[in-house]
Amino acid sequence: MTDMKTPSSSELAPSTLTTDVELDKRTPPSFGHAMHKLFEFDPSYTNLNHGSYGSLPMPVRVACEKLSAHIEANPDRFVRIECIHHWNEARTRVAKLIGAETDECVLVNNTSHGIATVLRNFEWNEGDIIIGTTTTYGAVSRAIRYLCDTPQHPQVSTFNLTFPASHAEILENWREHVRLVTSEGGDLKQTRKVVAVIDAIVSNPGARLPWKEMVGVCKDAGVWSVVDAAHSIGQEVDINLSEAKPDFWVSNCHKWLFAKRGCAVLYVPKRNHHVIKSPIPTPHNYYSPEDEHYDGPQEFVKLFEWTGTIDYVPLLSINAALDFRQWLGGEHKINEYTHNLAIAGGKHLASLLGTRVMDPDGDLTLNMVNVELPIPGDIKYSDEVNALLIKTLLVEWNTYAAHYYHNGKWWTRCSAQVWNEISDFEVLADALRDVCQKVVKFAKQ
Amino acid sequence: MSSESAPTSNAELDKQAPPSFGHAMHKLFEFDPSYVNLNHGSYGSSPKPVRVACDKLNTRIEANPDKFLRIECIHHWIEARTRVAKLIGADVDECVLVNNTLHGISTILRNFEWHEGDIIIETTTTYNAVSRAIKYLGDIPPYPQVSIFNLHWQEHIRQTRKVVTVVDAIAANPGVRLPWKEMVAICRGAGVWSVVDAAHSIGQEVDINLSEAKPDFWISTCHKWLFAKRSCAVLYVPKRNQHVIKSCIPTPRNYCSPRDKDYNGPQSFVNLFESLDFRQWLGGEHKINKYTHNLAIAGGKYLASLLGTSVMDPDGDLTLNMVNVELPIPGDIKYSNEINNLLRTTLLIEWNVYAIHYYHNGKWWTRCSVQIWNEISDFEVLADAFKDACQKVVKFARQ
Repeated sequence: MTDMKTPSSSELAPSTLTTDVELDKRTPPSFGHAMHKLFEFDPSYTNLNHGSYGSLPMPVRVACEKLSAHIEANPDRFVRIECIHHWNEARTRVAKLIGAETDECVLVNNTSHGIATVLRNFEWNEGDIIIGTTTTYGAVSRAIRYLCDTPQHPQVSTFNLTFPASHAEILENWREHVRLVTSEGGDLKQTRKVVAVIDAIVSNPGARLPWKEMVGVCKDAGVWSVVDAAHSIGQEVDINLSEAKPDFWVSNCHKWLFAKRGCAVLYVPKRNHHVIKSPIPTPHNYYSPEDEHYDGPQEFVKLFEWTGTIDYVPLLSINAALDFRQWLGGEHKINEYTHNLAIAGGKHLASLLGTRVMDPDGDLTLNMVNVELPIPGDIKYSDEVNALLIKTLLVEWNTYAAHYYHNGKWWTRCSAQVWNEISDFEVLADALRDVCQKVVKFAKQ
Repeated sequence: MSSESAPTSNAELDKQAPPSFGHAMHKLFEFDPSYVNLNHGSYGSSPKPVRVACDKLNTRIEANPDKFLRIECIHHWIEARTRVAKLIGADVDECVLVNNTLHGISTILRNFEWHEGDIIIETTTTYNAVSRAIKYLGDIPPYPQVSIFNLHWQEHIRQTRKVVTVVDAIAANPGVRLPWKEMVAICRGAGVWSVVDAAHSIGQEVDINLSEAKPDFWISTCHKWLFAKRSCAVLYVPKRNQHVIKSCIPTPRNYCSPRDKDYNGPQSFVNLFESLDFRQWLGGEHKINKYTHNLAIAGGKYLASLLGTSVMDPDGDLTLNMVNVELPIPGDIKYSNEINNLLRTTLLIEWNVYAIHYYHNGKWWTRCSVQIWNEISDFEVLADAFKDACQKVVKFARQ
């Protein structure tokens, strides 16, 4: 990190937010438990749930603290003069990773915020349709519902997704659903719009969708595609958005990319910049058609440069996170380890529980694997059962993986990360056996 | 279930007496030692004990993110809301925490269902981003009108569906205190909604007492004068108005839709405490603000005498901890991005001192924020810097 007292050749040059300088001189630990020295978990906590909230590697945390100290030394100097360069650097590097142009990428607080920004920028009219699915992330699903509840009351159309399902099945059904939706509507068909929110990787279950093909179906049918790719960056390799061409795409950098919580990238291709008239909140440099010297809308990137005072460190931590991942060996190497462990770990867990994996062929599985739980399907989801699972796992057993009810069964979703090994699945199995017994006992009383 | 006790401010704090107000306070803040900070008002600064407490909390979260977020976090959140509600004279369940004031204002303004004929009233000194947010709402269907406050604003209310006014408690540029409680009362009398942008209030304005003032909505930034970590704001919505707020932004997973099968009415409406502990340790709101207010008055006068200009507010009605002093730049030199950048770079990079600068009512001004680490000599440093910067501006403008 550039030392404040000896500035680089240009006062305004971006100072790369690097990791602790000692790191560069050392070789990374092996994948597996040796990696724990680079993360700061409670040493007795078995973490198989990286997917929910992400985890902060120690070198990134150190880099964040250095940046915080730099900001606090002179907040005005940082915010007014230096910040923009760090921000541009983060956008440039992340754009390269996802196959987009720098000026098609801006940084927002999290995926929900990015999706809200896109959906709330559409001018909704009667007859418009928003397509969600039965496995759309809870808050996104509610966001769609909320928009339909408010004038002008677009309608929601729900695509049914149940797992297990193959990509071929999903695509066939998707094509049919889009065809049906776009063929209805009568007079309004000419003027109305259809906007589909598509998960790249579903949360519950943790399943990879054939999203690129689904986007292609949308394009052919004249339907807007908003891709909720919360879990993608850092887990899905070779994303290549300039090839896939979604209309909008949002991904959390504080999940699989190891940036500090919360930080997401919002991708809007140039052809769609005109749709995004204002971020949320509206910034001081918004141009209004009512302004005296209005000469066209504000540039997309400029709109997002500052949207209210925030802690900039999470957004800028992307730089240190990318450095860290490069040092570990890069995207392919990391994901090869985690993917293989997810497959092996899922099988092992299923055999220990006496159940099965959701996705034996592995089409749906990147680093998250879904395994059936030994809880009878007639025991339905309730907040009490959910709380019991959470407390027993986290407080009594000090281990965690997400759990959910889907398609008449109970499941766990395990996230395989660079610090995990197969034995972690044994710890989880013991915990799950215990908690599932407790759930059955509770439900049958 | 009670939470484990939140990490407290640096334990040593309780065993020590606070330093005196003034430069002795610098040991509790982490500025570049050669930086003279007269601009606390823009982005706020957190004292070291708060930063240490935040680091401890971060460590705890990273030790087990799921345990913290799924089980513990809510209790901390409730505690923060409880303490801040007490400070502003509101009910706990009338206060929620949001990212920053802009986000809070957006949440309110975007929750109103606008109709043709509605009017949103702002003023010529409404914070620029808030003004733009209002402008944006006027630009999209169904195009509520935007009206600028002037002395005859009652005329606006003639034949409309609803009127919503955004009132600053303390304006940003200039940094001046408005008679917001009285303005809110006038709104109430006229059937106008009042949305109070109180970004600068909490921690600067004492005895706020919202249950008495009764604004319809009120938002204040906690990372400014209250010393919380950047960024954090409190959004106050009295119970009688909670029905207006149907969804926060982004919409949460527990949003209740009227179209839900089991709809049973809308969802109920509901980091910080470390900074409150710290301020209590310093002696409390009145003691802190007495020092800063008196220094703002004295410092402003002094700066004006050094610059050969005048303070905006000689009587002191408008001044809490921010004081506005005219700059020695002829008023015919208008605002431009180049001049703004020149001022900023000269002050921050060459002189390592800062207070904001702006053009208003035909003159150039600086707004100095006075904080507990400032002393009168800081205004001398600023005076030297501004003398130089203003000469540079005049030279640039006249070429």
